[in-house]
This record gives sequence, C-alpha cells and structure tokens, in this order.
Amino acid sequence: MTDSHVTRRTLLRYGAYGAGAAALAGTAASWDRLTGADIPGRDDGSLVVATLGPAYGPEAIRTLTEGFKKVHPDIKLRINAVQATDWSDFFAKILTQIAAGTAPDLVYVATEGVQLFAQRLGVALDKWVKRDAAELREYFADVHPSLVESMMYEGSLYQLPVEFNAADMYLNDQVLKRAAAGFPAADWTRDDFTELLRDMKKSSGSQFTPYFWTNRLWGGVVPWLFANGTNLLAESKAPGGAWLWDGFYPSAERQGRGGGFRWTTPQATDARVEESYDYLASLIQEDLCTRPEGGNGQNLIGVFSTGRVGVTPAGGFWAGGLHLAGMEPGSFDVQYFPRWRTQRMQFGAAGYALLRTSKMQDEAWEFIKFAARRDTLMRLFETNQTTPARRSMLTADRYREIGPRHWQVFYDTLDKFPDTGPIPAPPQVAEVEQVLLKHTGTALSSRRSVGPALRRMQRDLEKAMERDV
Amino acid sequence: MTNTQVPDVRPPRATAASAPPEAPVRLSARDRGTRLLATLFLAPTIVGIVVFTVVPIVGSLVLSLFHWNVIDSPRWAGAANYREVFTDSTVLVSFRNTLVFMVLAVALQLLIALTLALAVNGRMPMWLRSVFRSAFFFPLVLSAASISVVMKYLFNQDFGVVNWALGLIGIAPVPWLTSENSAMAAVILVYVWQQFGFSFLLFVGGLNNIPKEIHEAASLDGATGLRKHLHVTLPLLSPTLLVATVVGVINALQVFEQPYVLTDGGPGDSTRTVVMVIYESAFEQLRFGEASAVGVLLFVLIMAVTALQFRLSRRFVHYQ
Amino acid sequence: MSQATLTMNRTRHALAPWARIAGLTLCALLTLGPVIWTVSTSLRTPAESFDLPPRIIPTHPTVDSYRGVFDQIDVWLLALNSTLVTALIAVGQMITAGLAGYAFARLEFRFKKPLFGLVLATMMVPLQVTIVPVFLVLKSMHLTDTLLGLIIPAFPTAFGTFLMRQYFLGMPKDLGEAAMLDGAGPWRTFRSVYAPLATPGLAIVGVLAFNYHWNEFFRPLILETSGQNYTLPLGLVSLQGNLGTGSISVVLAGVVLSMIPAVAVFLVGQRPLREGITSAGVNR
Repeated sequence: MTDSHVTRRTLLRYGAYGAGAAALAGTAASWDRLTGADIPGRDDGSLVVATLGPAYGPEAIRTLTEGFKKVHPDIKLRINAVQATDWSDFFAKILTQIAAGTAPDLVYVATEGVQLFAQRLGVALDKWVKRDAAELREYFADVHPSLVESMMYEGSLYQLPVEFNAADMYLNDQVLKRAAAGFPAADWTRDDFTELLRDMKKSSGSQFTPYFWTNRLWGGVVPWLFANGTNLLAESKAPGGAWLWDGFYPSAERQGRGGGFRWTTPQATDARVEESYDYLASLIQEDLCTRPEGGNGQNLIGVFSTGRVGVTPAGGFWAGGLHLAGMEPGSFDVQYFPRWRTQRMQFGAAGYALLRTSKMQDEAWEFIKFAARRDTLMRLFETNQTTPARRSMLTADRYREIGPRHWQVFYDTLDKFPDTGPIPAPPQVAEVEQVLLKHTGTALSSRRSVGPALRRMQRDLEKAMERDV
Repeated sequence: MTNTQVPDVRPPRATAASAPPEAPVRLSARDRGTRLLATLFLAPTIVGIVVFTVVPIVGSLVLSLFHWNVIDSPRWAGAANYREVFTDSTVLVSFRNTLVFMVLAVALQLLIALTLALAVNGRMPMWLRSVFRSAFFFPLVLSAASISVVMKYLFNQDFGVVNWALGLIGIAPVPWLTSENSAMAAVILVYVWQQFGFSFLLFVGGLNNIPKEIHEAASLDGATGLRKHLHVTLPLLSPTLLVATVVGVINALQVFEQPYVLTDGGPGDSTRTVVMVIYESAFEQLRFGEASAVGVLLFVLIMAVTALQFRLSRRFVHYQ
Repeated sequence: MSQATLTMNRTRHALAPWARIAGLTLCALLTLGPVIWTVSTSLRTPAESFDLPPRIIPTHPTVDSYRGVFDQIDVWLLALNSTLVTALIAVGQMITAGLAGYAFARLEFRFKKPLFGLVLATMMVPLQVTIVPVFLVLKSMHLTDTLLGLIIPAFPTAFGTFLMRQYFLGMPKDLGEAAMLDGAGPWRTFRSVYAPLATPGLAIVGVLAFNYHWNEFFRPLILETSGQNYTLPLGLVSLQGNLGTGSISVVLAGVVLSMIPAVAVFLVGQRPLREGITSAGVNR
C-alpha cells in the first residue's frame, strides 16, 4: 500500500514535470503566434485598411487583397476586418487605435460616421478626384448623385460610395395571401399601409404582429419622418461641390445638388414629428406594430422568414439575409416605403475614408479607386449582402436566384425619387442617435407619452448639437 | 561624480548590517529569508497590478481633469468634467439604475443560491446531488455576451419562449424588453440566472464546513426547519455570506454585457448602467475626460459600498 | 440509537424529500433550459427556430449550421488563439496566485495588510475605465495587437490570490512549524510542506481563469487589431452577419461550439472547483 502510494506520488510529480515541459515547449513553439510575428504584412509599411468584420468574411478579404495585388503589385496591403457587432463597437476600436497612435490608413465608414470622420479625422479626396477625373468618369456615371452627395462635407468629397441601403418595405407573401391582399402599388399611401396591417392582423391571429421594426437611426422612426416631410434636425445643404457636379454629372442630375448636407437645429417638437410618433403609437395601440426594440435587429430575419411578421422596413442587404434564412425567392417581395405627405425615402451608404494621419495617402487613394471598381464590387457582393452603389450591377441576373421579384425598387428608390436622402448624421451623430433611440423608446412605450418624450428629446438634442465634438 | 558618490552611500548601510548591536531590531537569518521570499512571491502580482491597474487608474484620474476627444491633444478641464457629470441626467439615472440593479440582483442571487444550497444539502443520493450542483453552476461557464443574445430571443414579447410559457399558466404577454417597467426585471433575471451558481457553490462549501454535531444538537433541542436555519445555520454561515455578498456586489456594480445586449440601456434610460455610460461617452461620443470622471466616481462608489459591508459585517458575522 | 432518533427528527421536520427533489429538478431544468434551447435550435433550420412550443427534439435535425460556422470563420485558428491565451493565463494565474496567496497567508512582512488591500481593490476597477491607459502601456511595451498583450496583463488575479490565501490559511499551521523546527528554511517549508497540498486550490484558480478568459470579449475587442489574432468570441461576432442578417441557427451553432471546451474543463475540473471554492467562504 505504501508502495503504491509512493509510486502514485512519483507519478504525479513526473506528470507535473512533463506538463510543465510540454507547456514550456508549447509556449516556445507558438512564440511567433503569441507575438504576432507570423502575421504577414505587419509593421512592414503596408497600407492598412480597417473594414467592418461581419460584412467582410475571409473570402472577401482574399478577394480584395489578391485583386489589389494584381493591379498594384508594388503596394503592400493589409486588411483588418474589425469584428464588431455594430458601428459603435467598430468606431470604439478604431478610436482606441487612433488614441494610441496606431491608426489604420483607411477606414470603412457608413453614413453614420461620414461627417464625424470628415470633420475630425479625414482627408478630402478632391485633389485626387480632379487629377484622375478621366478614370473616374465611368464610376460617377454609374453611381447616383444622391449617394455621392451623402459623402460630401462642406463642399468636399470624402468617400467614394461602394454600397448603400435604402429603407424599403419587405412583405411576406404568405402573410399577404392569408390576408387575401394584393401586392401594394408603387404609390401606396400610409392609409393603404394601415389597412393592409389590419387585414393581416385579422387573418393571422395571435403570435403574429403585422409590422416589425428595430429602433435605430437607420430604418427606425426616420423613414416615417421623411415620409411625413420632416426630419429630426433641420436639413439644408452646404454650398460648394460644383467642381464635382459640373465635372461628372449632366445638368439634369446636377439640379439642386450642393456641397453635402448640413443637419443643424433639432426639431423634435415639430408638429409633423409629433404626428409621425402619434401614428406609430396608434399602430402599437392597435396591436399592429411591435414596440421599438433596441439592438441590431437579429430577431427580425427569424420572425419575418417564419411568417410571424408581415411587413418590415429593410434594404437590399435583406435579400441576401432572407435567402440565408431559408426563404424561397417567391416568398417575399419588396416595395417602396408608403407615401404620406411625400414619398421621400432614407438611405445609408458606405465607403472608405482616408485618415489624416496616414503616411501613404497616394497609395490609399489607389485602394479607394480599386475598391470602387465594378469588377471588384462584382466579386465582393456576390451574395447580395448589400445594395451595390453601381446601378449597372443591379440586374435581373443578380436577383434571379434569391429574389425579390421587384428588385428594381432598390435602385429606383434613388432614381424615381431624387429627393431621397441620407439619414441625419451630423458630426455629433453618436449622441444624436443615442438621444433619438432613448426617447423613441420612452415615447412609444406607453400611451400619452409621445409629447413629453419629444420635449425631452428636443432638449437633449439641443444639448448634443451645441457640443463641439 | 557618480563614482565618488557610490562609496559614500554604501558604507553606512554596510555598517548597519555588519554591526548588529547598533541595529534597533535584529533580524534573524530566517526572518530575512522570509522577507526575501515574500518579496519574490509577491513580485509578479504586485508588479503586474502596478503596471496594468494602478498606473492606468492614475491615468484615468488625470484624464478626468482634461477634455479629450482622442483626436486633438487633451485640454485642461479642472473640475468641469465632474460638474458636467453631476448635472447630466443620464449619468445620474445610470447611478440610480446601477444601485437598484445591485440591490435587487444581489438579494435575488443570494436568496436563490442559499435556498438551493440548503435543499441540495439535504438527504439524497450522491449522484443526484452532484447532478444538481453541476446544473446550477453550469450557466457560469457560458459567455455573458452570447447567452444574452440567446436570452433576447427567449424574452421577445411576441415570439419568445418565456411569454409562451407564462401563457400556459394564464399570464398575459409581458413586454419584457420594451417597457420601462419590466426591462430592468428582465436584465436582472438574465444576470441572476447566470451568476447565482457562484454564490451557490460558496454556500454549499460553507454548509459542508459546519460541524455536523451543531446541527444534530440543534435538532435534538427541537429546532425545526426554518427556525433551525435562521438561528443556527445562518449565523454559522455568515462568513460565507459576507464573501458572497461582497463579491456579488462588486460584480453587480460593474454590470455591462446583459443590458448592453438585451436592451441597449433602454427603453429610455431605464436599464442604462454606469459602465454602459462610461463605454458610450468614451467610445461612442469621444468624451474620454467625462468617461474617466464617471469611472473614478464608480470606483469610489464600489470602494465605499465594500467598506460599508465590512463595517456592517462586524455586527453580523460570527466566526467560529 | 441516536442515529435513529435523528433520522426520525429530520424526516418529521424537514420538507418531504420528494417535494424537495422535485423542486430542485424544476430549478435545474429552468437553469439548463436556455442552454438546451440553444443546442436544439442550432440543430434546426432557421425557419423552425421560432416554433412555439419550442421543439426541443428537432424534427429534422441538421448539422448544416455547424458546417456554416466552419465555412464562414476560421474556427481552427480562432480556437488555437483562444486556447493559447486561456491556457497561458490560467497557468500564469496559478503561479502568481499560488505564490502571492502563500505569502499573504503564511509569511510575515511589512505592509502586508495594505498590499493585500491593494490586490483586492483591483477587483473593483471596471475594465472599461482603464482600457485606454492599458492600451498605451502595452504600446510602450510593443505588445499591442499580440496575444501576449492579452495574456500578460491578466496574470495578476485578485480573486485567485484571495482564494489561495484562504486555501493556505485552511492548512494546519503546525505542519509548517514542525518543518521549521526540523531546520527547514522558509523556502523549504513552502516547497516540501505546503506547495504539494495546494494542488486542488490551484486547480480551481486555473478553472476559474479558463472560464472567464475563454469567454472574454471586451479586452480582445479593443486590444487585437489583426484578424489573425482574434479569439473565438470575437470571431463568432461575424456570424451575426452584416446588420444582423446572419442565420440564427449558425449564430447559435457558433455559441455551442465555443461552449464545448469550457464545458469540458468544467467537467474535468468540477471536483477541485467544488472543493476549492468552498474554502473561499470560510474562516476569515
């Protein structure tokens, strides 16, 4: 017995030595992994591009890296797909890097951050655009001026848009059939919309909500404000920008364009804003609409694709998402946002912003051009995870296999409604967005709370807009 | 010059060591060995803490006196950030929310953990006890962020499993995440669900350490069920209770993932916690100075609450 | 005889055993419910994910979602990184906590109380407060965007040190005194008397460290820039897709996959965990 005890102890000890040795050996063997020394293109003067991870899988990164290498074998490129659940996570990470002086050269930025980056961090692309005008003519001819204008700030262009998403209405065919309702016409009105929701509710019973939406800046309350001919912040256009419009767009399309949007005085207590909230509140009251839920809208795909929701606002990115969720091409479709006082719709776009701190600005410009090329985007957007900024890429071919039938709606939202514009995103966007989401939640969380909540929203927005970012 | 100074400094030390009679306290070789050993043993922890916690804390203290948006160089702010913080309704509400959350979450967590620990401690087959213990501890091995994503589905008002289950027993759907009245409840439930296992294990251990004879004596004296627990078990368990409370409170005051994923602080500000405000004002709104000020205040609050608990514990905790 | 009386007393006064066990079973099911739902949903098609009542046993089980995870992210690299980070932190914490815990429990030195207070106080510092200064410190050490930059700052552990202190305090003092009388110095006393007894305590520090750091999200999110340096929780984010368009089944499959190692470590480390954690709450 004593013997076995001793052997066990000895065994344990040798076991421990063995484990220790293995740990040491393992650490030594993986030293390069631990220090990141095995990563190609690290600290070697590569051009560093930060993209939003969930939108750019390994496949997409390979496409970009290899494609760029073919065109510019002399420029070393490194793409960091930043994993973040949303734009604020993404900016948090970029900001930490900027704070530490290890910023990337280019950052993928959506409308939410265009003006913030332009004002504080970015470099205007004007001089390069003018220099390479001949090369870019084809690009601008293919991209709607509204998208380009949304990337301008005080007369200068800061990004070349590569993708966008407008808030259109997705409809579930199965639910439409249950309600014996036809597919709405392109010029349907808010009242048609309400009627449709009522029909859906009647025919679909419990555990069903006709209209589902996510409380966010893009696609939340804002499309209703636009449809009602108003906005959260007073909207005007900066002067300037003629250099671009005159150089690239025919006179018909230049009409009314300026040097980018200015969002200034908050107008949350404006009668039309209140009217829009009252409308949504009445829908909730009637059980036609979900209460505003925060977050990234992950529930949405699931509940829509399984017929628990009939209508929801989303953009081209949803076609790909619904396909992944197992929806057949014929089982859903898309129509414009309904008309109220206007049928102006809202969108968000994205492209690459060049940072002032970059020491490789000319090389970075080459990447910006490369990333906006048609062949690059064709390879990048194969799965319809977004709407390409280039009109020529929206073809019957692209949507044949995944739907929707009315895919033309995606780009026609811009072409047929030239006043369709970007979500209000001044440099103070982060705080504006938080204030909007916060008080929208309160305004619609119980009856009669719209007025007081909007007054608080107005006060907080005023405070936010006064702040120097 | 440096060279000439070295001999000047050294001798006095050397004499002190080599002239024992003059030294006021004489250290034996063993004591010196102990000190050396203590220094070596503590070095990794203390150096690590100094470099990665103390220095950063001092850093944020300094930062809280500046306006800093990361992009431009910091501007002196004096107490402006603190003034701002004390007048900002969002910040104040977040402190209130965090305290409410702390009280309710810790109380619920301890209550559930204690009840279950007592129940598991009763007579039952060994294997069953071990199954229960594992089950209750299990949520702790999951990532708070991922599980909150799952919970968001389960708590959905119209399609979630929770409301479906409540419907079975005749309760109307609760707008868990979208009403100011119930959102905090949902966040607390999710948090407690994940955290109670830790206190549970502490209690199980504490109960094991109570000598059997005491229980037996109490039972023989005629103490029954609840009364026995109140008068005999609880006082004996009080040291464990203190540890569970202190750790529970420290963790609860730093809650972030659950409200961030479940409600994003809403509706309104109803579930916005202090750490969320720190994250938002620093990383989303580029107000690092203000965020640091809030951080410093939170740190002070946590220290104060912890100190208070230890003070109170002198009256209630009985060591065997 | 007294045994018999005791049993009688217990059965008479305590809650009926079957009711107690039934109650416990219900609680266990409630506790595991969300986990079971997660696993079963990951085995269903996205279209079935919202079925009510939830079908715990999928009608058409499919592992497509798991295939999806492997298609969409480099699971192996992420798992390697996570393993390296978590394992080294666990080992590091066992060393730092073991040594410091022993010093606080069994060695006499100046400033013992304030130093112990300092260690405990670090528990009270929210990560979000210090992350930017930490980033700057790491930068000065050339450790940003490396796995080491995640590992080294995590070596000191307040709770681990506290735990090991309790653990050493729980050991009989006479053991060490006897060794001292035999002429063993402080180091020998530690090495040959106390250290061998500390294994279960160290195991729990290791298991807790593994648990926490395997699931860690915020530090890697801020500190790691290159995709090659991501850990699993970070990699899983991309399964949520652009603007939340990822398939819920794939997201949950990722959650389940990342859960496996933590569960394995939990099952293996359960006994020391249970034994070790109990010591934290007793004595002073």
